[in-house]
Amino acid sequence: MKIAVLVSFLVVLGVFIFATQVPVTLTADEVAKAIEEASSESEGPVDEDILAQAMQLSVVKLEKAQSTRLKYLAAAYLVIWLVFVLYILNLDRKQQELDKRLAQLEHDSDEDLPF
Amino acid sequence: MGRLSTKIVGIITAILIFISLYLVFGYARIEGTMLEVQKIFYYHVSAALTVFVAFGVNCVFSIKYLIQRKSTDDLLAVAAAELGIVFCTIALLSGPIWARYAWNTWWNWEARLTSTLVLWLMYVGYFILRSALEGDKRRLYSAVLGIIAYLDVPIVYYAVDIWHGGLHPDRGTKWNLEATMRQTWMVALLAFTMLFVLLLIVRYRMKKAEARYEIVRQKYLGEASQ
Repeated sequence: MKIAVLVSFLVVLGVFIFATQVPVTLTADEVAKAIEEASSESEGPVDEDILAQAMQLSVVKLEKAQSTRLKYLAAAYLVIWLVFVLYILNLDRKQQELDKRLAQLEHDSDEDLPF
Repeated sequence: MGRLSTKIVGIITAILIFISLYLVFGYARIEGTMLEVQKIFYYHVSAALTVFVAFGVNCVFSIKYLIQRKSTDDLLAVAAAELGIVFCTIALLSGPIWARYAWNTWWNWEARLTSTLVLWLMYVGYFILRSALEGDKRRLYSAVLGIIAYLDVPIVYYAVDIWHGGLHPDRGTKWNLEATMRQTWMVALLAFTMLFVLLLIVRYRMKKAEARYEIVRQKYLGEASQ
């Protein structure tokens, strides 16, 4: 049982270690789409300043989109490992209860002995 | 299986889970459409396939119980069913999170989702039935229900072929992955299978200990009342 709890702990630890190493990725399509969206949202003819503004806006949009994706990923992984951890903790509780009952039975049977 | 063997299985499982996590986040290529969210796939699909293995073990030992009437077969069947529910819960909970991003909906009553939910409900029913009965009746009826419930597994697996137009991709999609993704998924699947084996050993041992305790207690109570 202890080994199972240890495994679950290591798994959760592993998720936290590796989940922080997700590389930031922006595909060419995403950049183009974001610039297009940002350009369409900017007012007036597109000059250098407006383009720079559009670029800034697009980066913010891309970061926001990635943040949303990572939230979904983190939520799913949290749920997956949480179910395991809760199940293993429940098993540990049951094992402890059984140990207690066994100790009680042993104690009761000892009391009945004449010596 | 001895204590040492269980420890070895535990250590192998822990190493495999660590390797799979490294592969998921540090090796597998990021998919072009769903980007990072696609990484849910590695454990979601592995959990779903482990469900088939778990309920398969339940079915095999239920049949074995009906033939040989050995209570240890019943205990193994129950342990496997319990783990099947755990893995099925993981698949049913992680799926909607992925679906919300990929399909813009948490849930859809398409064939595979619905049949998976039915599968989960049937095995929950298996435990409700067990809690309502005692002794040989409990073992017998739950073995029969375990076999009947397993008939839903091929329905879940082939649902995308039988009922077209659902949200899930074709069955072959997962086998046609890019090399790094496929290798990562294989390791994740192996890690989950080993985790199932480890938990099955632990749960079976506990069930066996509980059953032995009950026998000793009944015997002791019988002797004490005489």
